[in-house]
Amino acid sequence: MKNLIKYEFRKTWGTKLIILGITAFAELAFLVSLYLDKEKYNGLSILALTFLAIGGIIFIGIQSILTMHQDMNTKQGYMLYMTPNSCYRILGGKVIENGLSIFVAGAFFFALGALDVTLLLGHYGQLGELKKMLDEFLRQLRMEVPLDGRLFALLTLNFLCSWLATVITAYFADVIATCLLNGKKYNGWVSLLIFIALSWAMAYLQQVCTERLVWDARLIWNAVIALGCSAVMYVATAALMERHLSV
Amino acid sequence: MLKSEAVTRMFGSKTAVDQVSMTLEKGHIYAMLGPNGSGKTTWMKMAAGLCKPTSGRILFEGEPVGVCSRASIAYMSTEPYFYNWMSLKDVGRYYQDFFADYSGQRYAELLRSFELEESLKVKTLSSGMMAKAKIAVTLARDAKVWMLDEPFNGIDLVARDRIKSAIIESAQPDKLLIMSSHLVEEMEAIADRAIFLRNGQLIKEADIETERTENGCSIADEYRRIYGAQGGTEA
Amino acid sequence: MDFDASIPIWMQVATCIKTDMVTGRLPPGEKLPGGRELAVRYTINPNTAARVYQELEKEGLVEMRRGMGTYVTDSPDRIQALRAGMARDAVRDYLKKMASLGYARREAAAMISQEDEKC
Repeated sequence: MKNLIKYEFRKTWGTKLIILGITAFAELAFLVSLYLDKEKYNGLSILALTFLAIGGIIFIGIQSILTMHQDMNTKQGYMLYMTPNSCYRILGGKVIENGLSIFVAGAFFFALGALDVTLLLGHYGQLGELKKMLDEFLRQLRMEVPLDGRLFALLTLNFLCSWLATVITAYFADVIATCLLNGKKYNGWVSLLIFIALSWAMAYLQQVCTERLVWDARLIWNAVIALGCSAVMYVATAALMERHLSV
Repeated sequence: MLKSEAVTRMFGSKTAVDQVSMTLEKGHIYAMLGPNGSGKTTWMKMAAGLCKPTSGRILFEGEPVGVCSRASIAYMSTEPYFYNWMSLKDVGRYYQDFFADYSGQRYAELLRSFELEESLKVKTLSSGMMAKAKIAVTLARDAKVWMLDEPFNGIDLVARDRIKSAIIESAQPDKLLIMSSHLVEEMEAIADRAIFLRNGQLIKEADIETERTENGCSIADEYRRIYGAQGGTEA
Repeated sequence: MDFDASIPIWMQVATCIKTDMVTGRLPPGEKLPGGRELAVRYTINPNTAARVYQELEKEGLVEMRRGMGTYVTDSPDRIQALRAGMARDAVRDYLKKMASLGYARREAAAMISQEDEKC
């Protein structure tokens, strides 16, 4: 299992390094512009960092989906399927590697964000005013949501779990399409349709289950449901691969 | 050692392998023969545990093939399959990580005899180099069964002899080796059993030297007799 | 080595070894390569290689000593007999071929000395 995870990481570490490199550059720009009081560049670097955080995590997932698609549809799949590992383990390696990557990247960007916000608040004392304004604005919207670290932590957790579930949904959709069509024409389109249907079903389930809950319970339950759906789809995907595997 | 019991594999409405029953014994090198599309590759993939028969089953040492048997059955597909970010050294490490029967020393030895450098990148390999690298890493496993799908494809004459030597070195009395090829002449001297497949069906299983002794018949002759109408040996 | 695929390979390899014995390249009592080594040397199936020695042993030309390996027979007489036998076969082959071309025995024999003078 360790080796399966290791090689899933080997397949994708290049782009992860690139994301990390760009982030380091943007962070440097942020720190320098903060120090030199260049507000325009400071704003730009904050924008870039926000984009990198969300984009980076999404990209990690998309890359994992593409790798999975290749392993299902090209001869490089032999590298996995000829090893004495069941599809449960092979897929497990992918899910764990990708889950870890997404959560580590999430924690990293969250910590970096927290650090930068603290620096920003320390540097520009008046930002405290801005936060108050936002709180006031939200209160007027009658949303009893305190704008604090806990909210952001829960939002981040919810985003990460949902994204992991989305990646596994994509695996599942891809495997269904490949098994149905055996890599024939429109394979990609069919898997996209299946993916949309499954994602909609999961969103519907989340909505139905959490409708009556308050905001924090809702976020937590959304994350739990996303993880539950991930587990179910993982088992279903591996079972399907096990039965229909043919590279 | 390997037993195929009425194995059938369908792809949609097409029958790739049709009721193939045979028993392959250790201590022999089998030549699996037949034109393209006769079911050689599909049968091998099933024996390698890479796809499942539609009906029937393949047994390895009495147990149906599957995840476990992959640890003892080394399969080499005819297509290149290494990850293209790898060097030949990485390929060796990969096998080291996944197969207990792999020997890095044997791999290095085989690469040397095939005149391949470990530092070569998979991406940059010519088709002939790739074919040799696949054989090297597959034979570097001390497997109980080796299945080589078209090992001579895209390989020049000199390298073919090296490969044959490597295959013969591997063929111990307790091992089973199966090679498919449509280059029948290449198999004459190194295989001792022949399996003829046509349209997914097993046509004939023969002991090659017996065939020569009793009927004065080479496998190429036999091949022509069986597939005559389908265009000869393609050699 | 190139083989004639319609003649048993073991027979062709055996002939090769016999020729080496007769010409002295493999003297009496000489140790022969092991079965696997023979297989690699001639690029033939190991079972075929084993058969080569079995058949040579049947003819009394080699001796397989348990755990020691295979040796050319110690007896020069056997090798002499082999030589004579191979020469006889060669002559018979020649005569058969000439007969198929329509030559009488006498003519065929005469042609040998004619050609010999030219060489």
